[in-house]
Amino acid sequence: MKGITEDYITIKGVDDKGKRISSKDYEDMVQDALKRSNRLILWTKGQHNVGGRLRHESGSVFIRVKGPVGQRLGCMGQPGTTIICEGQASDDVGYLNIGADIVILGDATNGVCNATAQGRVMVRGSIGSRGLTMTKWNPDYKRPELWVLGSVGDTFAEFNCGGIAVVCGINPKNPDNILGYRPCVGMVGGTIFYRGKTDNTYSGNDVRLSEPNDEQWQWLVSQMPQYLETIERSDLLEELTVREEWKVLEAIPPQEKSLRRSGTMTIEEFRIKVWEKAFGGDPLRDLAPGLDREPIGLIESGDLRRKVPFWANRQSAAPCTYYCPAHIPTVDRLRLIREGKLDQAYRLTLNHTPFPASVCGSICPNLCMSNCSRQRVDKSIDIALLGRSVQNAEAPELKPPTGKKAAIVGGGPAGLSAAWQLALAGVEAHIFEKDNKLGGKMAQVIPWERLPRAVWDAELERLLKLPGIHVNYGVNMTKDKIEELKNNFDYVIVAVGAHEPRRIPFPGSERVIAGLDFLKSAKSDNPMKVGKKVVVIGAGNVGCDVACEAYRLGADDVTLIDIQKPLSFGKEREAAERLGAKFRWPAVTKEVTDEGVLLADGGFIPADTVIISIGDVPALDFLPETVETIKGLIKTGEAGNTSDSKILAIGDVEKPGLVTDALGSGKRAAEYVISSLNGREWKSFKIPVIQQSALTVEHYCPDNNTLSEDGEADRCLSCGSCRDCGLCVDICPTAAISRIDLSDGQYEYRSDDDKCIACGFCSDTCPCGIWIMQEFE
Amino acid sequence: MVTIRSIPSTPGSLTYTDLPWIINHIEDRCTLCGKCTSVCPTSAIYLGYRRQRIPQIDIYNKDRKTSYRTFAGIRQRLDVEHRCIGCGMCSMVCPNEAITPVLNSNDDRLKFHIHQGGDAWKRGGRRNSRESLLDNIIFTRISMLTDPALDAGRHEFYLNTILGRILSPEEYLKRKEKGQWIPPTREIFPFIIGSMSFGAMSPNMWLGLLQGVAYCNEVLGIPVVMATGEGGCPPWVLKSPFLKYIILQIASGYFGWDEIIRAIPDMQCDPAAIEIKYGQGAKPGDGGLLMWYKVSKLIARLRGVPQSVDLPSPPVHQTLYSIEESVMKMIQSLSMAWGFRVPVYPKISGSNSAKSVLNNLVRNPYASALLIDGVDGGTGAAYNVSMDAMGYPIASNLRECYLDLAAQGKQNEIPLFAAGGVGKNGNVTQNGMALIMLGASGVHIGKYVMQSIAGCLGSERNRCNVCNLGICPKGITSQNPKLYRRLDPDQVAQRVVDVFQAIRTEMKKIMAPLGRSQSLPIGMSDAIGINDKAAADKLKINYIC
Repeated sequence: MKGITEDYITIKGVDDKGKRISSKDYEDMVQDALKRSNRLILWTKGQHNVGGRLRHESGSVFIRVKGPVGQRLGCMGQPGTTIICEGQASDDVGYLNIGADIVILGDATNGVCNATAQGRVMVRGSIGSRGLTMTKWNPDYKRPELWVLGSVGDTFAEFNCGGIAVVCGINPKNPDNILGYRPCVGMVGGTIFYRGKTDNTYSGNDVRLSEPNDEQWQWLVSQMPQYLETIERSDLLEELTVREEWKVLEAIPPQEKSLRRSGTMTIEEFRIKVWEKAFGGDPLRDLAPGLDREPIGLIESGDLRRKVPFWANRQSAAPCTYYCPAHIPTVDRLRLIREGKLDQAYRLTLNHTPFPASVCGSICPNLCMSNCSRQRVDKSIDIALLGRSVQNAEAPELKPPTGKKAAIVGGGPAGLSAAWQLALAGVEAHIFEKDNKLGGKMAQVIPWERLPRAVWDAELERLLKLPGIHVNYGVNMTKDKIEELKNNFDYVIVAVGAHEPRRIPFPGSERVIAGLDFLKSAKSDNPMKVGKKVVVIGAGNVGCDVACEAYRLGADDVTLIDIQKPLSFGKEREAAERLGAKFRWPAVTKEVTDEGVLLADGGFIPADTVIISIGDVPALDFLPETVETIKGLIKTGEAGNTSDSKILAIGDVEKPGLVTDALGSGKRAAEYVISSLNGREWKSFKIPVIQQSALTVEHYCPDNNTLSEDGEADRCLSCGSCRDCGLCVDICPTAAISRIDLSDGQYEYRSDDDKCIACGFCSDTCPCGIWIMQEFE
Repeated sequence: MVTIRSIPSTPGSLTYTDLPWIINHIEDRCTLCGKCTSVCPTSAIYLGYRRQRIPQIDIYNKDRKTSYRTFAGIRQRLDVEHRCIGCGMCSMVCPNEAITPVLNSNDDRLKFHIHQGGDAWKRGGRRNSRESLLDNIIFTRISMLTDPALDAGRHEFYLNTILGRILSPEEYLKRKEKGQWIPPTREIFPFIIGSMSFGAMSPNMWLGLLQGVAYCNEVLGIPVVMATGEGGCPPWVLKSPFLKYIILQIASGYFGWDEIIRAIPDMQCDPAAIEIKYGQGAKPGDGGLLMWYKVSKLIARLRGVPQSVDLPSPPVHQTLYSIEESVMKMIQSLSMAWGFRVPVYPKISGSNSAKSVLNNLVRNPYASALLIDGVDGGTGAAYNVSMDAMGYPIASNLRECYLDLAAQGKQNEIPLFAAGGVGKNGNVTQNGMALIMLGASGVHIGKYVMQSIAGCLGSERNRCNVCNLGICPKGITSQNPKLYRRLDPDQVAQRVVDVFQAIRTEMKKIMAPLGRSQSLPIGMSDAIGINDKAAADKLKINYIC
């Protein structure tokens, strides 16, 4: 700055009359003077915006400001401009400065360096509030600098973006706080060097306090002498270059800011140092000792699953097995066929029924088939076909004789079924039959069209060949006889069936033939004659049989009447309809005459023969007092057990039903007897039927693969019994399921708890409904 | 006869297009990993097998055959119990973006069948309506070179409010001089975590909230308080220094109060306040209900009841017969429990009768405040009809009460708190500040807390809303550890901190242009406007358009 006192042009801030020149006119005067000299003395009188926008061809402009100066000294200062203000300065010194050096030899008020981008402001005193705010830093130029010998006011360096400030703390306005209240809010760049006490209210979110590093210190000590020389206080150099006295506030880079936690400690630290310490442990430890609340994920295995898969093989019954009164395990039979074990398959069947061909294969309405799940794909398994194929199979192996024996009163299907089971189990079965042949109504009444004689004979022969079966024909049962049997046998099983036709005492009822008598006669060697026109009262299935036999014996026109919608169905009904039988209902018989049947509604049906077929009831006069009856039937428990512990009752004497019901009750009673004789408790069939929704039938396609045992075996869905297809192993997404060979040739599928995530795919996939998902607490 | 082969049709048979949420499964992206079916809270989805028939149609070829293709994909169940609730957890776990529930734009027939088993439909959540009057209230008084401009980022703001009765200066000085009782007050943050019980909330959620609240107070200096709801408070919490951040609620079921009373002699500090619940905005006129699914061993122990029983609270307190009596008996008993050092105030559901209650409180020297809960409040379990069709919107109910107080010159004495739908569509600070300018001294937020702090998936399109069943997929409202352990209490606490810091910032952004920094603009209704003339007239605020 040498030589700046020469060739100065002085510009006064008042006119000749002593009146203040406006800032606008003063600016014109300054610009005009600059054409003549680049050295100006400005004797200002409060003019604003002085010292800015000055440019000289020499590249430099020197200005000394002597009078009281207005606001915004050095506003928009150009590079090359040097301004020395000899006294105090007003607000906004260096506003929007882009390169001027501005020296204030006194104090400056508020807003020093506001929005400054380049250049320096060097103050010998202190400054007011909002210094160094909104500064910029264009990387192509030097950073702006603010040097203050004393202190700065409040809200210093707000939104400072690049400015460097040096606050020396010499004779500060407030010795306790040389940086003012709350500096550096929103500061994003630049550095503040300071020396002296503060109130530490700087914005911790924006800036970081530290000691000057080597580079920063080097810069400070290299710049300090020039500053002190400029403000003519070089005497302070030593005092102001004690490194330990200086501190630095630096903007925290945004990258680092985003990583900073909101508070002074992390949540984890807070939990450990404050939270858990206050509780002395987990806050729930008194209510729920040992409760594990550690975070887990959304997909977990092991004990953290909400469900677990369970291989429920054979835990539910296939509909065929469930609905069959004898519970013939058709699913197993078909599995054996698939495995090529035909003999075992037949044996399995015969272990449940003595008459697979006669009943399953011929006369049974096949409850198994009407409930078969395969119908969801195409049609049910043909179990009648399977039954017929067992016609000539050998009886299963017998258990060794036990020496026990049971008397069976009545050789109908129920009694024969019981006898068969007992004989197979090594219990002697003594049948006492009233008639001279076995089979009860099944043999005596059902037309041979429906139960072919050859089939029946073959199966009866197989039964009679069992060494444990003894038959006594022509035995009329009496109370004394029963007592005798009770004494001589371990158990007495009553299976006399229902052979008393039910009749209605309307006028002319004596002209009416009982259906049962008619059918027995029809099937005998000397059948009775029938007229051309026949009326059958009662249009149930037996009525249909009556109609068929009537046609066979010469009737032309058979009418079945009923008081309600006929309950007949299936093969019997179809056979009757095929022959031309007519059904008429509701029709209440009022009287039977020689001409025919007079109905209550006034109608008349001509008839030569009238047969009544409205059911039969058992004849039970031989029963001892110890056996309770109810409405003409014997009161029984689940296994046919009666109020007399030695007497069981099965078949139509306990409840009228189908032949298959009779077979089932015979089997149950026999099993009860066998269990009791062996000292075991009898257990009824308790397996629930499988839920259709558990099966996945989409694995099967409709086909015409029928008419062979093998074909049926392939079509079987194997409800409730694993068919060992292994689809579960394939579908399990975590490879948790494996097939385990067990020692006895058996196998099982297992799910590994550590791998399983309980997705339920095994259950959703299993064709047989074996895998089930259980709730898991 | 319905046979095995038949496809049965029942009155409730629905197709997937009848359900409110349709599972959109993109088969060719699916890797069949099983995660979606594993995570689904209602077992709404399963691996479905389908068979496709491919007939070889060729008129010239006699040897035609039909072939079949069996394929698997994720399918949704169609029964009410296993319906898709739209929570979207399947999408969250799907590695291939192959599955997502889509809102049905077709008819939603479910509503006709949702009443099952002889009971009407119960659910959690709040009124299934997305409209929000509070969202339409904006702040119109903005200083543009007129008032001293404030800078939200730079200036310091005093944002707290006072819970408790404020005496008039004369009265205060008189009592001070004579050493008489001065009603207790608390300086609290005006956004309060509203009553959600330990029981409605899972342990990880509730304790995470409290941990975050404690952090806000002790590390950040934001005096956030939370209300317990009915159902007590764990004994160790009652005896902890954090009790001072808790408003204990007493309601008509009195659940958990034995433990509270037992803990009184051991308390290190007083609770923030006592809230007497007379009503809840979500289900006015109906009581509380914690369904048996959620009464775990822990909850049973805490509430002093057997495990796995329904815990209904009656709609009314059994021993209260009139407003006067209710206010006097309840407020006095509970004030006395803590030596008249704790503010005690009633919470009622928004109602035509709110002003009557308020006027009663004004005359009661011990009443500390009134909390009014509007129709859009949430609940963990209620009948849908109570939630959807019962209640009173908070804005006008609060406003009427405030203007009533103002007419008596009492508006600075007994603070009103508002709740019900604050932050319904995510605009929590806007809604809360609107209510404050309508006259509230603060607002309670519940559902917003669950949504913003714990990631609750529930919405007013009836998404999820199964809080009542204890199957909350985020673990917020479940008592099953396999579900609530999905929630990390530290993360909940961190979110509490984040959310309250954000609310604080937004409050400043709203207050600075109003030129308010040193007191909450309670009742500063000239600063707000609404573009609905009728609402503007009703609320006595500026109509703007």
